[in-house]
Amino acid sequence: MISIAIGLSVILLLVILFLLFRIGTLTSIFRGSSERAAGTTKTSNKVNGALLLLFLFGGGAAFVWSFVKYWEEMNQPLASVHGDWTDSLFWTTMIIIGIVFVITQILLFLYAYKYQHQDNKRAYYYPHNNKIEIVWTMIPAVVMALLVFGGWQTWTKITSASPEESVVVEVMGKQFSWMVRYPGADNELGVAKTTLIDATNEFGIDFSDRAALDDFMPREIHVPKGKPVLLKIRSRDVIHSVFLPHFRVKMDAVPGMPTKFWFVPTKSTQDMRNETGNPDFNYEVACTEVCGRGHFAMRFLLVVDEPEEYEEWLASQTPFIEENPDLLAKFQTESEKQLVLKNTSEKKAEEVKTEL
Amino acid sequence: MSSTDITINHDIDHAHEEHDHHHDQNFFEKYIFSQDHKVIAKQFLITGIAWAFIGGFLSILFRLQLGWPEATFTFLEPILGGWVENGKLNPEFYLALVTMHGTIMVFFVLTAGLSGTFSNFLIPLQIGARDMASGFMNMLSYWIFFISSVILFFSLFLETGPASGGWTVYPPLSALPEAMLGSRGGMTLWLISMALFIVSQLLGGVNYITTVINLRTSGMSMTKLPLTIWAFFLTAILGLLAFPVLFSAALLLIFDRSFGTSFFLSDIFIAGEALSNTGGSPILFQHLFWFLGHPEVYIVIMPSFGIVSEVIATNSRKPIFGYRAMIGSLIGISLLSFVVWAHHMFVSGMNPFLGSVFMFLTLIIAVPSAVKVFNWIATLWRGNIRFTTAMMFAVGFVSLFISGGLTGIILGNSALDIQLHDTYFVVAHFHLVMGAAAFFGMFAGVYHWFPKMFGRLMDEKLGYVHFWLTFVSVYLVFMPMHYIGIAGFPRRYYAWTGFEAFSGFADMNTFISISAILGFTAQFIFLFNFVYSIFRGRKSTSNPWHSNTLEWTTPVLPGHGNWPGPIPTVYRWPYDYSKPGSVEDYIPQNIPFSQTQSSNLPQERDFE
Amino acid sequence: MANEQIKEHNSRIGVHPLKFSLWLIIISIIMMFAAFTSAYIVRREEGNWLEYDLPAILLINTVVIILSSVTMQMAHNAAKNNNLKLLKMMLLATLGLGIAFLIGQWNAWADLVQNNVYFGGSGSNPAGSFLYVLTGVHGFHLITGLIFVAITYFSSLKYKVHSKNMLRIHLCTTYWHFLGGLWLYLYIFLRLNH
Repeated sequence: MISIAIGLSVILLLVILFLLFRIGTLTSIFRGSSERAAGTTKTSNKVNGALLLLFLFGGGAAFVWSFVKYWEEMNQPLASVHGDWTDSLFWTTMIIIGIVFVITQILLFLYAYKYQHQDNKRAYYYPHNNKIEIVWTMIPAVVMALLVFGGWQTWTKITSASPEESVVVEVMGKQFSWMVRYPGADNELGVAKTTLIDATNEFGIDFSDRAALDDFMPREIHVPKGKPVLLKIRSRDVIHSVFLPHFRVKMDAVPGMPTKFWFVPTKSTQDMRNETGNPDFNYEVACTEVCGRGHFAMRFLLVVDEPEEYEEWLASQTPFIEENPDLLAKFQTESEKQLVLKNTSEKKAEEVKTEL
Repeated sequence: MSSTDITINHDIDHAHEEHDHHHDQNFFEKYIFSQDHKVIAKQFLITGIAWAFIGGFLSILFRLQLGWPEATFTFLEPILGGWVENGKLNPEFYLALVTMHGTIMVFFVLTAGLSGTFSNFLIPLQIGARDMASGFMNMLSYWIFFISSVILFFSLFLETGPASGGWTVYPPLSALPEAMLGSRGGMTLWLISMALFIVSQLLGGVNYITTVINLRTSGMSMTKLPLTIWAFFLTAILGLLAFPVLFSAALLLIFDRSFGTSFFLSDIFIAGEALSNTGGSPILFQHLFWFLGHPEVYIVIMPSFGIVSEVIATNSRKPIFGYRAMIGSLIGISLLSFVVWAHHMFVSGMNPFLGSVFMFLTLIIAVPSAVKVFNWIATLWRGNIRFTTAMMFAVGFVSLFISGGLTGIILGNSALDIQLHDTYFVVAHFHLVMGAAAFFGMFAGVYHWFPKMFGRLMDEKLGYVHFWLTFVSVYLVFMPMHYIGIAGFPRRYYAWTGFEAFSGFADMNTFISISAILGFTAQFIFLFNFVYSIFRGRKSTSNPWHSNTLEWTTPVLPGHGNWPGPIPTVYRWPYDYSKPGSVEDYIPQNIPFSQTQSSNLPQERDFE
Repeated sequence: MANEQIKEHNSRIGVHPLKFSLWLIIISIIMMFAAFTSAYIVRREEGNWLEYDLPAILLINTVVIILSSVTMQMAHNAAKNNNLKLLKMMLLATLGLGIAFLIGQWNAWADLVQNNVYFGGSGSNPAGSFLYVLTGVHGFHLITGLIFVAITYFSSLKYKVHSKNMLRIHLCTTYWHFLGGLWLYLYIFLRLNH
C-alpha cells in the first residue's frame, strides 16, 4: 500500500501541476495576455528581468561566498618548485578571467534587465561599427598573447630536460596499482621487457643485464627534499596517468611508450605534516586516466625525506634480486633454452599460419 | 558511402509521377520513411529528446554514487539488477554509465539533435528551397542514425555491460577485452554504432552543404544568409572533414580488437599473459580521435551559436551587431578547430614542443569567441528585449558560454593543464559549454521554432519555470565542480574514498548530486510542455515572433515543398529590425526595398 | 517542382547538386584515407617497422585500374557522342577491369600471406596491417564504384544515358577516376613508405 500511496502522491502532484498549468492558460486567455506578442507581457518581463538581476547578484554573492569558504580546501598544499609557477600562473589567469567574467556577466544581465520590452519603444538600429569590432578583437588577442607567453615560458621550463643529478625513479602502472623501481647504486635501470613478466618478476626485468642487478622495488616512493626527481613512467597493460596532486605532477603512463616528468620537492613529509597539522599526512600518487574497474583506487605513497634521511633509506634498501635469488638462477639457466624454444615455436607458428 | 541519389534525372523525367506520389503517399512514406526535411527534422528531434532523457538518467545514476558514496542503492536493483552488488553500484558499471552518458549526450543528443533537427528543418526554409538536395539521402541519414541508436541502446543491456572506457575509448583499454568487462561486447556495439552514426552524419552533412551552396533562392547571396545557416553550413563542413578521421580510427580499433592487429597495441601484459602485439601506438589513436573530437565540440556548439544569434536578434528587435564579424568569427572558429586537437593531450606524453604550438593555437580560438560574445551583448544594448522563453534560454546560453569558455582558456594553457587535466575542472568546463550552453541553444531553438514545426506555441509560463529551474540547477551543479577540480579530484572516479587528498568536498559532491537531480527533474516540465503543446498548445500565427527570415513566410504548417506558390525572392539581409522610419519593427527578407521607402538607408535607395 | 528549382539553380550557380554532393563525399573519403596515411606515416616514424616487399602484382593492378579509367573515360566520351554501342562496351570493360583489379588485390594479399606478412595475429606488424587496411578499404570503395558502374550500365541498357542526359555517367566517371587516383596515390605512397 505504501507504493500505492507514493503513486497516488505522484499522481496528485501531477494533477495539481496540470490543473495549475491549465488554470494559467485559461487565465491568460481571459486576461487577454495571450493576444499580446510573446515576450511582451509586462508582468512576465518584469518577473524575468527581476529574476535575472536577482540571479546576477544572488549568484554572484553565492559564488563569492563559496569561493571564500572553500578557498582552503580548493588549494591542495603545494610542495614542488614548478608548482609555484603553475599556481601563480593559474591564479593570475583566474584574476584576468574573473575580471572578464564579472564584466561580461554584469553587462549581459544588466542590459537584459534595462532594455526590456516597451510597447512604444523602438530598438536602436546599430548593425555595425568597425572600430569597436577591432577593439574587442585586439583586447582578447593581447590578453591571450600575454597568457600564452607566460604559459609557454612555464611549460618550457617544466618540460625541459631534467638535471643530470636527478634522482631517477621508475613508476610502472598496472591494473590497478603502481609499481616502483629504483636504479640502485649504478643509477641505471636494467632492461625490462613485457615478455619477461611473471608473478614474481612483475616488472619483467632482464637480469642478464648487469644494470638490473642493483635495482630495487620499494613499496613507497622516497625522494629527497630539494633535489630534482625524474619519474620515468611506464605502463604494462593499459593507459594510466601518474598524478601527484601536491607536486602538480601529471603524466600519462602509456604501454609501449615511456614518458617522463621531473620535479623538485620542496617540503618533506614531516614539513607538510607540521604545515597541515595532520600527523598522518602522506603524499599520494593517484591515477587520472581511466584504466578499468580499480581506476579509483590506484593509490601509492610518496615520502619526501630530508636528504640525510633519504640517503639512509637508500642504504637500507636491498636489491630485488637479492630478495629473490632464485630468479637470477632461473634466468641464467633458462635464457639459452628460451632461445631454442622460441626458434622452434616460431617455425611452428609459421606452419600454422600457412594453413590459414 | 557512395550511394548517392543518382536518380535525380530519373525524377525529372517522371515529374508527373512524382507529383502523383505526393498525393498518394502512404503512412510509411509520410511519417516513417519520409523524404520531407521537416518530418526528418522532427524525427531527429524526438530521437534526440529520448536520448537526452536516457543520458540524463544515466547521469543521475552515477551522481547518486558520487554524491552518496557510502550509501547503498538497493532500491535500484529492480532497474539495474546485477550491477548493484550488495547494495553497491558496480565500479565497472559506474564507468559504463559515465561512458555512455558522455557518448549519448555528445553524439546522439547534441550532434544529431542539433544538426539533425535544426539543419534539416531550417536550411531549406531559411535559404528558400523546396527541400534538401537529396531527400533520399536525408532519409537515409536519419535511418542509419536510428539503427545506430538501436544498437547503442541495445548495448546498454548487455550482460557484460556497455562500453566503459570513457567516451574517448582510448586503447589499449578499449582494444583488449581482457582489460575490462566494458571492453567486450559493449565496446564492439559502441564501435559499430559509432561507425553507423558517422556514416549518417556524413550523409547529412553532404546534403546540408549541397543544399546551401546550390539551392538558395534568387537574391539569397551568401551575405544575406541568416547566421543560423552560416553556422549549420560551417558545422556540416567541420563534420565532413572530421568524422571520416574518427571512422578510420574506429576501424583500426575494430581491427585491433577483433582481428589481431597491433595498430594501437604494444608491449602489453594483461590477464596474466604477455600479448604478442607489438609496434602499435596508443598515442596515434588519441591524435586521430581528437582530430575529430575537438572539431566535434564545435560541431556541437556552432549550431547553438547560430540559433542564439537568431533568437537574440529577433527578440531584441535589433539587427545583430557585426554581422560580418560574426561570420568571420564562425569561419575562424571553424578553421582553428582543426589545428588545436592536441590540447587534449598535453600530458599524454607527446612532444613538448608540439604542446607549446598547440597551446598557442588553442588560445587563439578565444579571440573569435570573444568577438561573438561581445557582439551578442552589443545586440542586447539599447534593444527592445522581449523575454520569450527562447530569449531566456539564449541569454542563459551567453552567460554559460562565457563561464565555460573562460575556463577553456585556463585549460588551453599547457602549463596549467598539467594539474587540471582529467580533473573535475575539465568536467566543469565542458559541462558549462556543452552540457549547459549547447543544451540551452537547443532549448532556445525548440522554443523558438516550435510554432513553425507544429503550428502551435509552447506554454510560456511553463517555459519560464523550465528555464529558471534548469539555469539555476546547471550553475549549482557545475560551478562547484570547479572547486573540486582545482583541488585535483580526478575524473571517472567511482569514489574518492581511497585517497586522503581527495577526501574533502564530500558535502559539495552531495550538493552537486542534489542539484543534478533537481535539474533533471526539471526537464520533465519541458517534456510535458513539449508533448502537450504538440497536441493542445495554443495555435500559432504564421509569424508569432515577428521575424524576418524566410521560414516565417510559409504557411503556419508548411507542406511538402514548403511554399505553396513560388519561392519568395530575397532582397534584404536577415536582420532589418527596428529600422528607423519603418512602420513595423521588422522587415522580412522578401520585402522589396521599394515597399519600404520611408525606412531605407541612403545606400539602399539604389535598389528601390 | 523541386526538380525544376534544382535545374534553375543549377543553371544559375553552375554545379549540379548531385555533382556537388559527390564531391563532398569524395572529400570525406579523402579525409578518411588521409587519416589512414597519416597514421601510417606516424607509425612508421616511431620505429619497429617491418620491412617487406610489395607484391609485384600491385603494379599490374595499377595498370589495370589505369586502363579502367581509360575505358571509363571512353565510355563518357561515347555517351557524349551518343555512341551507345561503344558506351556499353566500355562500361562492361570498366566493370571487367574493376573486377580484375579486385582479383589482383586478392592475389596480392595471398602473396603477402605467403611472405608472412599478416593482417593480424602473433606474427603481424602494423606495417602489414596498414597495408591490408589501406588496400581493403580502397577495395571496399571500389566495390561501391563497381556497383555504381553497374547501375550506369543498366541505365544505358534502357537508353537513359546519352548526350542529353549525362549526369549519371558524369558522376560515375568522376567517382571512378577518383578511385583510380586514390589507388595511384596509395600505390605510390606504399611504394615510397613501405
